[in-house]
Amino acid sequence: MIYFDNAATTRVKPKQVIDAVVQAMNTMGNSGRGVHDASLDASRLIFDTRCKLAEFFGAENPKQIAFTCNSTESLNIALKGTLGPGDHVISTELEHNSVLRPLYELQAQGTEVTFVKSSRTGTLNYDDFEKNIRPHTKAIVCTHGSNLTGNLVDIQRVGDIARNHGLLFIVDASQTAGVFPIDVQKMHIDILCFTGHKSMLGPQGTGGIYVKDGLTVRPLKSGGSGVQTYLKHHPLEMPTALEAGTLNGHGIAGLRAAVDYLNETGIDEIRRKEQALMRQFYEGVKDIHNIRIYGDFTTGDRCPIVALNLGDYDSSQVSDELFVTYGICTRPGAHCAPLMHYALGTEKQGAVRFSFSHFNTEAEVDAAIAAMRELTEEEEE
Amino acid sequence: MVSGSETGSEFRCDMDKETKINYYITFEDYTQGLQLQEFLRGEKIFSRIAPAPRSIQKELGCGMSLLIREEDIDAARACIEKNHAEYHSIVPLPCQINPKRNRFC
Repeated sequence: MIYFDNAATTRVKPKQVIDAVVQAMNTMGNSGRGVHDASLDASRLIFDTRCKLAEFFGAENPKQIAFTCNSTESLNIALKGTLGPGDHVISTELEHNSVLRPLYELQAQGTEVTFVKSSRTGTLNYDDFEKNIRPHTKAIVCTHGSNLTGNLVDIQRVGDIARNHGLLFIVDASQTAGVFPIDVQKMHIDILCFTGHKSMLGPQGTGGIYVKDGLTVRPLKSGGSGVQTYLKHHPLEMPTALEAGTLNGHGIAGLRAAVDYLNETGIDEIRRKEQALMRQFYEGVKDIHNIRIYGDFTTGDRCPIVALNLGDYDSSQVSDELFVTYGICTRPGAHCAPLMHYALGTEKQGAVRFSFSHFNTEAEVDAAIAAMRELTEEEEE
Repeated sequence: MVSGSETGSEFRCDMDKETKINYYITFEDYTQGLQLQEFLRGEKIFSRIAPAPRSIQKELGCGMSLLIREEDIDAARACIEKNHAEYHSIVPLPCQINPKRNRFC
């Protein structure tokens, strides 16, 4: 099997991540639920992971990192915990449903939402952020990288706009955290939402949210916290404020090992390899008859994704054929990014998405190029 | 490339008979699809999981489907009724990718 669905989840994890999860499952108590060794070991491991993540993302303090199950949970916390009726928020057509659906829910409750439009190649006009600011605009929420086209958003530039206008800046880093440099303070990011299982290379069911020191976010959940038991409300202090119930300690142990792996290997080196594989594939298929590729490839600095269609074929049938005949895993359909597909004009056909990991090889990419050539050649018979 | 009973070698035999229409059972979610496949297996009705074609999904938008043989449609419907299985629809769609190859599904 050749796995090119890394934008959905990275299938190959570093061995140290797997070992860390197994080790935790053999030893870990419940963090913050006692002061015996098993519990304290868990607490220390989770605190150490907060420290590593805070350093990784340039956070001012480890207590500003709370653990969640994934980006979707983080984004729901961020959006529903800061916005309400009467507020206006600016987002983009590049967003995933993990941003769009919470926004639509808020919209139904009286929040105004404006989407900055995408070009046909999936790029944004940054002036449109400022043009859409209104007196009651409270926040900008946008992705760092499109999960469909792979196009990056210049979050430093958007962060500058947000800061200059006194707006909250919420970033969905699902596709970029772990492989692109993110410095929340330098980029003026107030809330960063990330998942552990994609480019962070950690286990599924891990993720987190950074909240700028001093910013209060209403929690989605309340319940057990291990502290302040006789309060009738959930503790207000970060990170406990956003962590109700037992954490995924086993997964967080894996996430800690993943951060270590990223630091040891170097995210610049990982990104260089992934972008080289993406470029190899792009160059190998771009001139094949009847292939349409989506996204902006005028820059090499993009997520390692190539989304394409083969003639007018249904993207799902192409993806199915790639898997059944060639053993190549891709993702067809709509990718939970409806506005992006509308902008690209692919809402009816979908698209076949190839997404690369640094664990992939040049030989695997060559096999995918050959498969695409074969499909096209046979179509022409 | 794919192995196992789920992969639909039976369908490939079908293609030798120049069948060029695929029959897809579509679902609102994966749980419905996986549950129905268990019911179909129990009655030895062949099916193979495939991405739900975008062109027949309409509002569904994504997800899995079950490819079944034309001659099994009535049996599949009976199985669905017997087990109160949930599904969205059973939809025919021409095999778009090189129908001359007789390799698809």
